[in-house]
Amino acid sequence: MGKTLFEKIWDSHVVVEQQNHPSLIYVDRHLVHEVTSPQAFDGLRMNNRTVRRPDLTIATMDHNVPTNDRSLPILDQTSAIQIQTLEKNCKDFGIQLFDINSPNQGIVHVIGPQLGITLPGTTIVCGDSHTSTHGAFGALAFGIGTSDVEHVLASQSIWLEKPKSFEIRVEGKRKNPHAVTAKDIILSIIKNIGTAGGTGTVVEYTGEGIIDLSMEERMTVCNMSIEGGARAGLVAPDEKTFDYLRNRKYTPKNYESLVQYWRENLKTDSDAKFDKTFTLHIDNIAPQVSWGTNPGMTCDITESIPTPEAYSKGDLNQEKAVEKALEYMDLKSGTPITEIKIDRVFIGSCTNARLEDLIEASKVIKGQKISENVSAMVVPGSQMVKKLAEEMGIDKIFTNANFEWREAGCSMCLGMNPDILLPGERCASTSNRNFEGRQGTGGRTHLVSPVMAAAAALEGHFVDVRKLDLN
Amino acid sequence: MKGNVIKYERDNIDTDVIIPGQYLKIHDYAELASHAMEGLDPAFHSKVKEGDFILSGKNFGCGSSREHAPIALAHSGIKAILALSFARIFYRNAVDGAFLLPIEIDEIAYKNISEGDEIDIDISSNQIKNITKNQSYQMKPFSEIIGKIIEAGGLFKYKPD
Repeated sequence: MGKTLFEKIWDSHVVVEQQNHPSLIYVDRHLVHEVTSPQAFDGLRMNNRTVRRPDLTIATMDHNVPTNDRSLPILDQTSAIQIQTLEKNCKDFGIQLFDINSPNQGIVHVIGPQLGITLPGTTIVCGDSHTSTHGAFGALAFGIGTSDVEHVLASQSIWLEKPKSFEIRVEGKRKNPHAVTAKDIILSIIKNIGTAGGTGTVVEYTGEGIIDLSMEERMTVCNMSIEGGARAGLVAPDEKTFDYLRNRKYTPKNYESLVQYWRENLKTDSDAKFDKTFTLHIDNIAPQVSWGTNPGMTCDITESIPTPEAYSKGDLNQEKAVEKALEYMDLKSGTPITEIKIDRVFIGSCTNARLEDLIEASKVIKGQKISENVSAMVVPGSQMVKKLAEEMGIDKIFTNANFEWREAGCSMCLGMNPDILLPGERCASTSNRNFEGRQGTGGRTHLVSPVMAAAAALEGHFVDVRKLDLN
Repeated sequence: MKGNVIKYERDNIDTDVIIPGQYLKIHDYAELASHAMEGLDPAFHSKVKEGDFILSGKNFGCGSSREHAPIALAHSGIKAILALSFARIFYRNAVDGAFLLPIEIDEIAYKNISEGDEIDIDISSNQIKNITKNQSYQMKPFSEIIGKIIEAGGLFKYKPD
């Protein structure tokens, strides 16, 4: 029987494999950031260990860096200490760091592909659950905890139980790909499989609907694999993948011979079997808006907030969860999604802050002003995205519309830096999690695409973006 | 392993409510623990006692890879989480760092165990005894691999045969 792409990558990285034991898997790339690494470096020091492959370890600071004027000192002392600690750790252990002043600084999952560090067929780990993003390039990429970060720093390998394989087929073609985005595809998937639907699996996204996506769109899909419970999600690499990575800063010198190998080997065999499958048809899917407190609590822009009974289909636990979610979100069943008024707009995060995301959102707002009831910000995913957008004049489109235009970082996605929602504030956010308090204590998050976020900023509420002229 | 139960009758308890993002900058574990569950239950810190257990629904620990989540709970005194199911990264972090035991239970145990019940968990026989109610339930046995890692005291002390 043939093998899936995931199994091929797995097999080519096994260092030790014994029955009834976890397998030791080699790690090709280890990405490090300031929040989940300090204790790992402390552990190395305590045990007199070094970093085994500093040349395969790359660090940046993204989670708690301020996104306003970087010539000013960092006011939050605990953030400042975490940032200084990463600087010291990288210096002591000989690790390449893109620090707060580097033109390559940015969200770790945005800079990896942009710099050509992310490569097909590789294993990539990082102390961050959205490491699944790199799967868009046909890499096996997943998030790990700090103890595992220490283990990888010391040994360049990780003990793993082999996950199951899960094929998510995306069939059909979107009628309006500017209005119905990759974000709407992945939210539709999660809405259907549930937040634990992918638990214990590595997802491979296949089908026409995935092949049609650009690399940046594929990253949006793979990014949210973890929101469906899967630690990793990947797409078989194709010419789009190889073109995207050609001539990047760290693209390997023997790139074309690697491409030749990847082209022949990095695909699931036609007779391979997945442990689990799910198919989504996208011909008629609508733009999505989350209304609850997990990413599965999502519906079409044309729908209304469901009742707890209707949503839960007899699952009493679920019913209670919906009641609590609606209470937290201050929403009533039956309210049309288009009538939900928002206070804030956040265009950013490792899900949706790449150049294409900013271009698409800018088309919506060009020449217009945001609603006077809304405050809105764009936080580019990396300083390089910011620079490229500025060269295209996209920053001006946003600032002329009264958006704030910030420096790169994770920002309001997870509320670790000063960019947070105030209690009760409602936000249209292009990020990945709508958990209670995620964007700030008492803050209310609606997960949407960049296009939807931009439209909501103008109107002060959600709108069916399929009605806009976005070409 | 005996202790009292703190029950959260809901699914999808995520790592952002277990330890909100703003506290991930804290390096002192006791201080970190003082904010455990703050996103869901601000009274948690005042009611939790050494040796307590948390009982909850499906997909416990979903979300971020932050190891701060099992650490904050463990340093609050929590010895085990009993849940209908777990998100994988949380489960792995809990076992690998030997912070606490993630124990999968069935609907019967979930329904019958109440807040405050004193229970006794015996992982060698996969039995959970409810001392308060004089009942007993089965826990889902750990897989062979997980059992060996737990026995070794975490992944870093574990050595393959």
